[in-house]
Amino acid sequence: MTARLVFDVAAGLAILFAAVMVVHRHPVKSVLALVVSFFALSVAYVMLSAPLIAALQVIVYAGAILVLFLFVLMLLNVPEEVRQKSGRPIHHTLSALAIVVFAAVLLGALRAHGATNAAPSTSPLTGEVAPVARLLFSEHLLSFEALSILLLAALVGAFALARREGRT
Amino acid sequence: MSLADVGFVLLRVLGPVLVILLILPIPMWVERRGAALIQDRPGPNRVGPFGLLQPLADAVKFFMKEDIVPANADRFLYVIAPGIAVFSAMTTFAVIPYGATATIAGREVPLIGADVSIGILYLFALTSLSVYGIVLAGWSSNNKFSLIGGIRSSAQIISYELAMTTAAAGVILVAGSFRLTDVVAMQSGTWFGFLPRWNVFPQFLGFVVFYVATFAETNRVPFDLPEAEAELVGGYHTEYSSMKFAMFFMAEYINMIVASALTVTLFFGGWTLPGFHPEGLGGVLLSVVIFAAKTAFFVWVFIWVRWTLPRFRYDQLMRLGWKALLPLALVNLLSTAALVVWGVL
Amino acid sequence: MTANGIPLGDVLLASGALFALGLAGALMRRNAISIFLAIELMMNSANLAILGYASTLQSVEGQIVVFFVIAIAAAEAAVGLAIFVAMFRHTETIDVNRINLLKW
Repeated sequence: MTARLVFDVAAGLAILFAAVMVVHRHPVKSVLALVVSFFALSVAYVMLSAPLIAALQVIVYAGAILVLFLFVLMLLNVPEEVRQKSGRPIHHTLSALAIVVFAAVLLGALRAHGATNAAPSTSPLTGEVAPVARLLFSEHLLSFEALSILLLAALVGAFALARREGRT
Repeated sequence: MSLADVGFVLLRVLGPVLVILLILPIPMWVERRGAALIQDRPGPNRVGPFGLLQPLADAVKFFMKEDIVPANADRFLYVIAPGIAVFSAMTTFAVIPYGATATIAGREVPLIGADVSIGILYLFALTSLSVYGIVLAGWSSNNKFSLIGGIRSSAQIISYELAMTTAAAGVILVAGSFRLTDVVAMQSGTWFGFLPRWNVFPQFLGFVVFYVATFAETNRVPFDLPEAEAELVGGYHTEYSSMKFAMFFMAEYINMIVASALTVTLFFGGWTLPGFHPEGLGGVLLSVVIFAAKTAFFVWVFIWVRWTLPRFRYDQLMRLGWKALLPLALVNLLSTAALVVWGVL
Repeated sequence: MTANGIPLGDVLLASGALFALGLAGALMRRNAISIFLAIELMMNSANLAILGYASTLQSVEGQIVVFFVIAIAAAEAAVGLAIFVAMFRHTETIDVNRINLLKW
């Protein structure tokens, strides 16, 4: 019972701060709202018996990716978005329509959901890290190594894109 | 969960937090007198015997100073930044075991805030969050020096985090678990009958990398360029006064204590000593005292280094972190992995 | 019902709400970096749904998938922000309405 309560509160906070992120016009404040939202999501992950993912969410997502966003925003000195009269109101109407249709479809799909009859995996879910690690380094080793090469490619690519012209 | 259970949980969680807050004046006093000792001068000796009440005078000063918010500063972020710094500093202590498991009134009370399965990862997560306190302080002050100081400091923390976690990975590899209680338990006993089984002996390189990285993580000399008075006015806490500055000050000391506690836990056996088996409440208290003594020694080393070494320039600092410490930490990790595979460790 | 007694419907509802908010942000904002943030939010909502199902089906593979998603999102964020920085250097703006050089 308490697990459900904590999850509901955490998910509620995540949704609330995500809404703040979407609505707020100042980009730095909206990044910070997203940080809080990701922190709340991390708590929700812990409730779903995934403490490793929760820790990684805070370390990688909230603690590295969003810090990178914050740096770029500060260094580019991105200004507050000015609420202006759009010359093409059809853009807003179509966006709102798309979101409403999507939400309706999603709720309809949720209504018809049901857990599939898949056989449970051999390693039942405890809050331990060892089963995840064991699986990661045995069955999914190739993907793991490919991921590390992907990260290397991203590192080199980001460096090549963002450096100033004419410098080796 | 009876009331007694809740009481014990509160005791073991709040206990170290309150103790740390209460003993904060001690590192402050030791810093001032220790600096004086190293610099061959008397140091504070007016306020109370041997200047022991100096931290109290400092606290009164912090309360009495005018609390300024700069004109064009972002008010909300400006006020919340020191709070984030202190919050992340204090909550990191939750996963560090500070004593043996006590048996009070028939129930086992492990002397650790929360023995989560992700142990040390929780600590790294909170260190990542402390970056926000600094970068927000720098940006919201609406001051060029603060911004530069804040960005330099956060870049420094992120860079040295890598070396720190890779060095810690060597310890985790040998322990086979993220839980710090497992790491401490693995370090009990001796090799050859006299050498304690501490991780500092087989992984000395890892210890050196880790300890140097903690200096950078806590923004202490020789890595304190982002807050150095001579370089950047005051870095990210230029515009802070009174209680908000006191909070940054507190956060720095708490970070120092936590970093020392973590070094002791990972590399020096935590609360264990070879040949020491805690029995009863006296044994548990002795284990806490042992832990506190080891941590206090490393806090003294922090202070000692501050008043001995000159400061790194920023580019030297970044070069050290990326080109020296990270490769060394990787070498340590690989050699430790080899030793584990060959069954030596 | 997930492992801890959290109904799967709760998890999916939260995930759906987050995804809708992310979609709204991606469609409504003018700032390229804010659009990117909304996309990151959408990826997190997918992570939440995957973990909800993983908990229901007592499967650890779900956590592995989310691990990969987080790592790939990190790589994508790095490259995307590098593109934005390069773009900003050329055009002095990151307003997506004004970056329309491909259109004559």
